[in-house]
Amino acid sequence: MGKSEKSVTRREFLKTAGVGLAVGMAGRPDWLAAKEDYDLAVISGSPAAATKKALEAMGGISRFVKKGQRVVLKPNMSFANPPDRASTTHPAVVVTVARACLEAGAERVLVLDYPLRKGELCLERSGMLDAFQSLRGVHVLALEERKFFREIRVPQGKIFDRMEVMTEVLESHVLINIPQAKSHSATGVSLGLKGLMGVIWDRYSFHSKYDIDQAIADLATVIKPRLTILDATRALVSGGPGGPGKVVKPNLIIAGTDPVAVDSYAVSITPWYDQNFKGRQVKHLLAAHQRGLGKIDVEQLKILKEKA
Amino acid sequence: MRTFIQALSLALFSLLFFFFANYKLPDWLPADIYLRLDPLLGLSAILSAREWIGRAAWSLILVGATLIVGRFFCGYVCPMGAVIDFLDPLLGRKKDRAGLKKETAWRKVKFFVLVLFLSSSLAGLTLAYLMDPLPLLTRFYTFFLYPLVVTVVNLFLDLLRPLARALGWMGLSYRHYTQPVFYMALITFLLFSGIIALNRVTPRFWCRYLCPLGAFLSLISPLGLFKRRVSPECNECLKCVKTCPMGAIEEDPKKTRLPECIQCRSCSRVCPQQAVSFPALPSTVRRRQLGGEYSRADLSRRGFLYSCAGGLTAAFLTDRTPFTPVRGKHQLVRPPGALPEDEFLRTCIRCGECMKSCVTNTLQPCFWESGLSGLWTPKMDLRFAACEQNCNVCGKVCPTQAIRDLSLEEKTHAKVGTAILLKERCLVWSQDKLCLICDEICPYNAIVFRTIEGYRRPVVIASKCNGCGFCETRCPVGGTSAIVVVPDGEIRLKEGSYIKEAQKLQLEFKADPGDDKFILESSGFKVGEKEPPAKPQRPAVPPEKAPGKKPAGFL
Repeated sequence: MGKSEKSVTRREFLKTAGVGLAVGMAGRPDWLAAKEDYDLAVISGSPAAATKKALEAMGGISRFVKKGQRVVLKPNMSFANPPDRASTTHPAVVVTVARACLEAGAERVLVLDYPLRKGELCLERSGMLDAFQSLRGVHVLALEERKFFREIRVPQGKIFDRMEVMTEVLESHVLINIPQAKSHSATGVSLGLKGLMGVIWDRYSFHSKYDIDQAIADLATVIKPRLTILDATRALVSGGPGGPGKVVKPNLIIAGTDPVAVDSYAVSITPWYDQNFKGRQVKHLLAAHQRGLGKIDVEQLKILKEKA
Repeated sequence: MRTFIQALSLALFSLLFFFFANYKLPDWLPADIYLRLDPLLGLSAILSAREWIGRAAWSLILVGATLIVGRFFCGYVCPMGAVIDFLDPLLGRKKDRAGLKKETAWRKVKFFVLVLFLSSSLAGLTLAYLMDPLPLLTRFYTFFLYPLVVTVVNLFLDLLRPLARALGWMGLSYRHYTQPVFYMALITFLLFSGIIALNRVTPRFWCRYLCPLGAFLSLISPLGLFKRRVSPECNECLKCVKTCPMGAIEEDPKKTRLPECIQCRSCSRVCPQQAVSFPALPSTVRRRQLGGEYSRADLSRRGFLYSCAGGLTAAFLTDRTPFTPVRGKHQLVRPPGALPEDEFLRTCIRCGECMKSCVTNTLQPCFWESGLSGLWTPKMDLRFAACEQNCNVCGKVCPTQAIRDLSLEEKTHAKVGTAILLKERCLVWSQDKLCLICDEICPYNAIVFRTIEGYRRPVVIASKCNGCGFCETRCPVGGTSAIVVVPDGEIRLKEGSYIKEAQKLQLEFKADPGDDKFILESSGFKVGEKEPPAKPQRPAVPPEKAPGKKPAGFL
């Protein structure tokens, strides 16, 4: 990640700190509770409008993307299904985020995934290519070759000490995860954390050899999206990850910087497989939380709920 | 001019092959047009299948044109002819080529070949594909040229990559084409090289002596309007005799072996006296003026009978093998929409278009799996790749409709087989391991987990499985997959709707989410904790505390 902090003089620092301290002791008045203080923004509405509003609610895209930065967007484009099957992120959500990144002055925006089915088919039938046709300066790519991945160490890994991750994800300044809300036969739900398996090469060993829940937590220790924008405008609540299965329409976009919190909240918005769950009941979320990667209890989150 | 048209035709053939024969093919575009135009393929498939084949009607265009113009196809349109001509310079100077001693006798071979193929078709064995130039070239393109081109292009892209990255051309930096691979590539390559190498003996050896399509066209060409005529200006310099790529000019340069003439007009171009012309003449005038040999297939009665007998013998020998009686129990998984096996083998012309177009590369050519009569027919290699549910291109590009052109919905119901679990290989059944890959990947929810003797085990619901093979492809067991698709339950219809047939058989290729309730207990949810426990077993990591770098001492 690039350095973008400006240097601060000691005097400025003290002044600011002093003011901050005073405000802190006085108790924080509402008007100071900037939108950045919310853990989550939960916006209901159509995919594009809700996404736009969610970005504003999180303090605007400029909080995450600075001028000249290279951005990777990671939606779920894993299946060659149309958006109404709810197995892939709605293209309108991704386009909205991409456009905002460009407006914020991003040098380059790449939309990447390593799909489960034939890449070109996925990009086409998920509607992604069509949606991005009019947006110049954004590349939508399915990376299916090992040469586009690079091995990194996983210092805090319990299962993996190494993983091969998309080189572009490692070298870009900002990663924004834009997962689709869906059920998953092996991990219960596939939301943000599970969706990040789409940036690594050898994901099959997750399923066949190892404890997949701990493996996902391992992954979350090294791949940290600056922002997660979860598409729950439609949710595949059974038959996931590929479907077909039962699709419900929560009409929600859930955005936040804490990947565990976003996922945990998403677990609570709808029954999965006709049963109600909490984030804490999802093994991989619990594992990630237990490793200190994010908050899991929805009651402790500051949530901004609005309509777009 | 001729070279230009030839190049254009070869370019069109290649363009359709490389850029259009894939899953994106629009319905209106016949990417297999060259194969459809081929009357020999159409005729032999119709004869052997004893059915009218709609797409074969296209070949009437070529038949009609040949009747009117003559045998122009070989010199101008045939992409195989173009390849032979364009590769000719590789084979050394024409002067140095030995030629054949019994030239005229050899010329008959192609007619024998033609008769042999047609008679074997009559007996129900398709052989035309062996030597018909269009499937031959298409096969060479599919099994050799296409993989080679992809390899070379990718190498080139790899070289370009650093530059593209430096310039920020993202599309180019990540451009990569999936490498297609095929069985039978070596055999196809050797056969093709052999044909090219034969031209070392004499130019266009293949076209002169062997090509059955050329023979067919020459048989129907005598009515053609344009015929070579030599005026009295001729000084018998014999330049034309040496130039003619088909050897169609006799020792007396005024005479022409008309059935051999492909109207390339090389003779008229090289003639120093400008004595050679190709006027359009009505046949009565022509007969008077040209005299001599007008058109006669060089086929003796004896030769005709021998080749007939040859074709029938070939059909007999390939038919009377154990392969035929076990055809109904064959092991092969055929592409969705393939005709019933007997009709399929009779109709398929082994061009390889379906395999080229296949989006996942699962379609592979057979070698010996169903006997001699199944050479190069498409099978699905589901361990290698699965059949993509959103693709129906194999039927679209099949020139004889041995694979029927089906809508996506129909194709989904064209069940190719059923997955069966090999329990002794399955990690869950035999080792009590937790593995869900087949269930997770199945697009039709045909695999469910059930409690059997206290363990959750995967089970196939046959009525929901259409044999797409994702489970077989993805099964993590080494070697033979623990779940394999066998042709059991395949639906193969000559006509009519697969959807209706599937309904009749009470099959349903859709999701029934209800079945997934079995997944719960073995999935990432902790089902035991449906209600949050009165006391959380452990307080959560206090949010105030910044998350430590180390995992917080759990587990």
